[in-house]
Amino acid sequence: MNNIALGRYLPMNSLVNQMDPRAKISILFILMIAIFIPAGFWGYVPIVAFILLALYLSKLSLSFAMRSLKPMMLMMVFLLVINVLVMHTGTLLISWGWFKVYSDALVQTAYIVIRLTLMIILCTILTATTKPLDLTLGIEKLLKPFEKIGLPAHVIAMMISIALRFIPTLIDETNRIMNAQASRGVDMQNGTFKEKISAVLSLIVPLFVSAFDRADQLANAMEARGYDPSRPRTRYKTLKMTSIDYIGLALAFLVLAIDIAIAWL
Amino acid sequence: MSIKINDLEYTYSPGTPFEHQALKGVNLEIPEGKVTAIIGQTGSGKSTLVQHLNALLKPTKGSVEIAGFQITPDTKLKDAKMLRKKVGLVFQFPEYQLFEETIAKDIAFGPKNFGISEEETNQRIKEVLPLVGLDESYLERSPFELSGGQKRRVAIAGILVQDPEVLVLDEPAAGLDPQSAKEMMNLFMRLNQQAGKTILLVSHDMEHVLEYCDEVIVLADGQVKTQLPVHEFFKHPEILREIHINPPGIVNLKETLQNKGFQINPDTYSLDELAKEVESQVAGHE
Repeated sequence: MNNIALGRYLPMNSLVNQMDPRAKISILFILMIAIFIPAGFWGYVPIVAFILLALYLSKLSLSFAMRSLKPMMLMMVFLLVINVLVMHTGTLLISWGWFKVYSDALVQTAYIVIRLTLMIILCTILTATTKPLDLTLGIEKLLKPFEKIGLPAHVIAMMISIALRFIPTLIDETNRIMNAQASRGVDMQNGTFKEKISAVLSLIVPLFVSAFDRADQLANAMEARGYDPSRPRTRYKTLKMTSIDYIGLALAFLVLAIDIAIAWL
Repeated sequence: MSIKINDLEYTYSPGTPFEHQALKGVNLEIPEGKVTAIIGQTGSGKSTLVQHLNALLKPTKGSVEIAGFQITPDTKLKDAKMLRKKVGLVFQFPEYQLFEETIAKDIAFGPKNFGISEEETNQRIKEVLPLVGLDESYLERSPFELSGGQKRRVAIAGILVQDPEVLVLDEPAAGLDPQSAKEMMNLFMRLNQQAGKTILLVSHDMEHVLEYCDEVIVLADGQVKTQLPVHEFFKHPEILREIHINPPGIVNLKETLQNKGFQINPDTYSLDELAKEVESQVAGHE
């Protein structure tokens, strides 16, 4: 449980760590658009170059980024299977009776896998270099303009930061309950289907009970201290864009422009 | 058979940036049929040690001998399942492990997992309920409509029903009012004295340690700092201060009196005897 790389903040003093969260979120957003521009395989070259530069500047190892892909492996295999079964265009590559593999299925899968991989690595860089609270502050500031059309930016940011805050707590809680039930003879790995269902129930039910308990306590604690989401609030931490942030944004726009150019030409 | 821990080492998340060695060569022999306290600061390795006792964790190095089982780094967890029946682990705030619709079902959950027959389980539930201070009218109720203290009794009944040879208790009285805490501790003492269960108590409450335990083990920074009989241990309150734990009131009182020039018998641990000693010395002066 403690080996999850996805979404974990690593306290390091790198250039990317010091960047403004607003700039980092915007860069992520711009690159996401670039990833989805149908510019062929060449279109991914500038994006990959940008990601490698970001990894280097954030002092993260490539293996750390790769580890965050692990949970997605199963999904990628699943995608491949679906594509092979569904896509029947392009040239026929393998034919075993009814089982036929066409080239388009492989190309299509390759596209999806590349896109997913790039997006996950980008998100990993963002979360590994940005404290969760800075991240939500960034989201809140970026959503601020939409408050005029009734979007509750502060409430959304508060919900995200509470959710993020409680991920480690819930992981600890899960470990605790798993240990407690294992001490009562639950075997999470082995056993028949029926035994597994009961094993999962013995974990899920107490987890929900304690999560609701915690939510209740947190709500009371916030109310007791006069929390009111509609009131204007001041911040201890104010965000400031520096030249690194502008350079990063400019580079991201450059990548987007190159991809648009490749797609058009 | 006593519990033997040989050169036990345990490392969390080895080979990652979060690598952390929690136990650094622990050697212990814990006597059978006694009540032994394990104390230490947060992060001293208490919980890690305790989780080795029923093979929730496997040693990185070294071995644990307990209840006829030997746990080494190569032990297959499948073979250790029956160890968990013989060593009952009561975690902190065990009320959070309840999940069944009725109390009867929840208590029977452990025995069912260990393959104990339904008849025997029902028989055992009837024996265990009065031990934890509940009666059979509770059996068909939902555990979620009980108070916190009652929930904890149900959870503890769920461990006792396994009839473990060794009971490991992690702060079993934490968060209870003094009266319930006392009842809880007395329950475990009865199990120790009448049924001969070996009890390991992880606690921060030195009053409980002094009153109920036979031996004290102090862990610090993943190693055993001291292992002494309880009355011997409390003659050295400086060990406790080193790990930032307050000695029991009576020990503090003895120390204060000694500093004021009274001659106090180091083996005195009752308030009445202490009062008599002081009285006789004051009388001698007048």
